[in-house]
Amino acid sequence: MSLANLTKPWAPMSYGFLDASAKRELRRKMIKSVCVPGCQMPYASREVPMARGWGTGGLQVSLTLINPQITVKVIDQGADDSVNAASIRRFLARVSGAPTTLDTLKADLIQSRHRIPEEVLREDQVLVLQVPNPEPLRSVQPNMSIARQMHGDADYGRMWLQLYEQIVRSGRVMQGASYPSMVNGRHVMTPSPIPRWDVPKLHMAKHLTILSAGREKRIFAVPPFTRVEPLVFDDVPYRVEDHAGLTCSRSGAKGFFMNEIPQSDGTSTYEVSDSEYGVKSIRQRDGETLTMGETWYKDGEMPQ
Amino acid sequence: MAYVATRGGERAIEQSERLFREAMGKIDAARVSEVKAALPYLVDRVMGEASLYDEDLAALALTQTGGELYEAVLVLRAWRTTQPRLCVAAAVEQDSLFTHRRISAAFKDIPGGQVLGPTLDYSHRVLATDVLGGTPFDPPRVEPAANPAPAHQPSVSAWQAANDLVDLPATDGAAGEAIPDLTREPLLFPAKRAHTLQSLARAETGGVLALGYAAMRGYGQAHPTVNELRLAEAEVMVKHPNGTEFSAGRVKVSQAEVVSKTGDKLGLGFAATFGWNEVKCISAATLDLNSKGAPKGSPTEEEFFLYHTEGVEASGFCIHFKLPHYVTFQSSLDAMRDAKAKPVKEPAE
Repeated sequence: MSLANLTKPWAPMSYGFLDASAKRELRRKMIKSVCVPGCQMPYASREVPMARGWGTGGLQVSLTLINPQITVKVIDQGADDSVNAASIRRFLARVSGAPTTLDTLKADLIQSRHRIPEEVLREDQVLVLQVPNPEPLRSVQPNMSIARQMHGDADYGRMWLQLYEQIVRSGRVMQGASYPSMVNGRHVMTPSPIPRWDVPKLHMAKHLTILSAGREKRIFAVPPFTRVEPLVFDDVPYRVEDHAGLTCSRSGAKGFFMNEIPQSDGTSTYEVSDSEYGVKSIRQRDGETLTMGETWYKDGEMPQ
Repeated sequence: MAYVATRGGERAIEQSERLFREAMGKIDAARVSEVKAALPYLVDRVMGEASLYDEDLAALALTQTGGELYEAVLVLRAWRTTQPRLCVAAAVEQDSLFTHRRISAAFKDIPGGQVLGPTLDYSHRVLATDVLGGTPFDPPRVEPAANPAPAHQPSVSAWQAANDLVDLPATDGAAGEAIPDLTREPLLFPAKRAHTLQSLARAETGGVLALGYAAMRGYGQAHPTVNELRLAEAEVMVKHPNGTEFSAGRVKVSQAEVVSKTGDKLGLGFAATFGWNEVKCISAATLDLNSKGAPKGSPTEEEFFLYHTEGVEASGFCIHFKLPHYVTFQSSLDAMRDAKAKPVKEPAE
């Protein structure tokens, strides 16, 4: 027996960039976070060849789950061709050899920054959301160790108070994206800065969602078929963005979350935010036969 | 309208990187060696913040990033984290350090002596403009002292402890894999002592200075006296699998002990880092000194300064604001416009 038989040939990096111990840490903490839905699990977040705050948390999860049989989709603010999405997709493919796709229906693993695709995700799909700030209590308690204790005590009084004050001062809840939501009736989590439009898509969803904050070193999850309920008062219903009546100026798609494009004459036009859904709509309109998935919203309404 | 895909992203990012690299020009081993030889203190700083002691790799990172310090540290950290850990070196005791420079502001003279060593402290900060005019600056030779300073010294706090002026922290017997490792575990609060010292060791110099300076100016309770500042080399002692202990080489380290009167005893703050970096060690030790009992949310509270002096995280988050945020922005606009459209009821008098 020689030493060469006992070792693997030298390689500049491990498969999927992260070494085995980093992947083990990620797997353990992912399992833990699935077991306690919505609860933030601290993890040893490694440096990756990308700046902190640019999706390093989501990237570590994707790098751990990836294998050559998995098809990956990466989106940033709804768009596949956004520069950072392109960069992450290229990196994932480079270190894993996994095929990539832009089509939500063909993806096994979707890493996303701040959007959930408009087409319904299936049981066999995993959504990885990049999270800048994992702490829904940050605005009422910037100290992480105290906030952690508040979660332990389910002490969300100040969170409710903040929402109440917004209603009193402005006549409505002013929270834009990252709407605080109760998961499985126990932990309040931030759904990451997805628009309010996307939060109901997490409720009792068929797919697994993993939310990972690399810089803040916290991971949490929404397992399939788990309750995700935005914090609302009984007499003030939850309101998504008023986009139900808007039409995409490029694809004609109607009733989805839109990007507002300011025009020089002072008006605005709109483009569907889920870029690939827009592209598919255009191609279908132009006579191509392709599969459009079922959408969460129908005619701008989310069925209860 | 025909189907027009906007797939310019991938090409654009490739070309923008090329634009940066082209301006940097060809990088070869000679340029890296030049950086290493010309900028040892910068190399030290980067090694400390990357928590990776390798002058060649640090010089390479600096060269490759054109001296963009945050990028250089990130490149090194990302490289470091993928490397296997072969073994853990033995703990370094203060009196086994090979001292180059060691000064105390607390006493006129100290056991082991004041050793001035290499420093610009007393230099006149005059720019050597003659060099640009074609006259090279050739530094005068050093004349060695008749009696060389001893290579090893005890710490000043050891003398103070013997005189019941300071309580030294209990010796931590953890060794090898049992030592908590910040790069393999999340930082939680109250932090483990090892995590605190490791965080400070790899903290960003400018960040530590900013918060340390805030503490020195009065946002901290304790005014530091530099008990001892030391620039040294440490032997890295490791154990061969066959049991032989040997030195894998020496690394440059710096450390600072600062003290302040707390009741009838001296409070002690400590920090150490790879490379020679005096400003960082004094600032970090000052933060350590002030952290005991600091109010939550104050700049001298451990959670506050450890989070905010983490340079890779701080710089990364700062530059992430360059990324598109139009979805989040759209969501806020929606709430704003709706609130504006509704008249707010004035509260009854």
